[in-house]
Amino acid sequence: MRDLIIIGSGPAGLTAAITAAEHGLDILVIDEYLKPGGRLLGQLYEEPGGNWWNGIEESRKLSERAGALGLDIRLGVSVHNIEQENGSWLVYTDRETFEAKSLLLATGAAEAPVAIPGWTLPGVMSVGAAQVMTNVHRVKPGQKGVIIGVNVLSSAIAMELHIAGIEVAAIALPKNNRVNGSAAIPTEVMNALLHVSHMAPSAFVKMGSKLMKNEFMKKMGITFYPKNGVRMWDIPVMLRKAVIRIEGTDQVEGVTLATVTADGKVISGTEEVIGCDFVCIAGGLYPLAELAALTGCPFYHIDELGGSVPLHSEDMRTPLDGLYVAGNITGIEGAKVAMSQGKTAALSIAKDLGKDIAEASLSEAIRQISSTRSDAHIQFHQDVEVGRRKLQEYWEQHATGKRNILV
Amino acid sequence: MTDRDMIVCRCEEVSYGELVDTAGQFACNSRELKLRTRAGMGYCGGRTCRSSVDAIALAAAERDNTQITLKYQPPVRPVHFGDLGAISND
Repeated sequence: MRDLIIIGSGPAGLTAAITAAEHGLDILVIDEYLKPGGRLLGQLYEEPGGNWWNGIEESRKLSERAGALGLDIRLGVSVHNIEQENGSWLVYTDRETFEAKSLLLATGAAEAPVAIPGWTLPGVMSVGAAQVMTNVHRVKPGQKGVIIGVNVLSSAIAMELHIAGIEVAAIALPKNNRVNGSAAIPTEVMNALLHVSHMAPSAFVKMGSKLMKNEFMKKMGITFYPKNGVRMWDIPVMLRKAVIRIEGTDQVEGVTLATVTADGKVISGTEEVIGCDFVCIAGGLYPLAELAALTGCPFYHIDELGGSVPLHSEDMRTPLDGLYVAGNITGIEGAKVAMSQGKTAALSIAKDLGKDIAEASLSEAIRQISSTRSDAHIQFHQDVEVGRRKLQEYWEQHATGKRNILV
Repeated sequence: MTDRDMIVCRCEEVSYGELVDTAGQFACNSRELKLRTRAGMGYCGGRTCRSSVDAIALAAAERDNTQITLKYQPPVRPVHFGDLGAISND
């Protein structure tokens, strides 16, 4: 029987596989996609100091290291169920059933849709799908697009589309309804964006982040925010306009925009139509934890981590024997944090399987997760550290509870 | 097209209007909203509309942070019956 199955060959899964192989574990890596690298494959952005983070290059480096170690990586394989039986883990896929002593879930994140009339028309896609088409398959999603949803992910992908020579006519808010929630409220979106203002080469937004420390200034900021948006990489970012409808008969032909009040109400008479042939919807990312949910692992919903996450410790163990997690399944963060979590998970697994892992190297790996987090260029949620502390408290409560039961 | 006519669950063709009305009438949580309307019960297993159904239910009822709102059940991906029950005969 294998020592370890890793589900997901993104930054967390591949880093874990490499670390575990270096410690002599027998591993199988499974991924649903056709190429290894996960969401790394789409990423391309400039870091402070002028270095570019090229995700394709990073995933190539990881794949080469994995190749040199002779790792068994099965691509295009979907896992539909997992079960623990007689102390080992069974992984049911659309090909065959695999078995191992331990299981690492590194399944990443999924994208949430936004609800706008017309969102089911052909030509509407998630912003991540446009990223994969452009950066991985090198196919233009269309000639001219509109992005609905103003957040860290949509801004980063807008820039990537711009670099690829695809026109983005606007990034605008979704209309206000029960599904779109705070992502449709200009003041809320402005607050969320202020902490990433360093990404925007716009004097207005940079100035904004310094001035808008109090509620009054924020209110003034959104009130006076230019109705036609602030240009970022030549793309108008519209915080005071919402897409109220996606237009088209058989496919996307355009969107109808309207000016909204600071709290997201449509001002009637302000409607205008912009022509476009594709629309990206960006409802944000949430941890893709469905497999963990099948195991009976406790879950906690933590907004700062992007949704419901399986209970785990800082060394990436879950309360279930032999089950570990790493990467965005534990909360939405960047690829570098995912890699450091993958390394930590692999060390914990090797240790639990009886390999000689020094306590110091495990605690150093845990420390590196925190330092990578503090140095991160992009933070998907400004209070991610608060979210991590909440989860740690839940873990401690759980551990204490268990001890009480045993006594 | 208005918000009310907008399809939220594409597999079972459940509209926004139907979900909002049902959530309002029965003050239901996500699970009850799903069972009453069939939103999230189609071919994709709710992988697309899950967060939307959740958001509509949560506008009426408070979230319990210790529970996953809509239970996951295997298979979590569409799979052929042959692959699901495959037992090797050799």
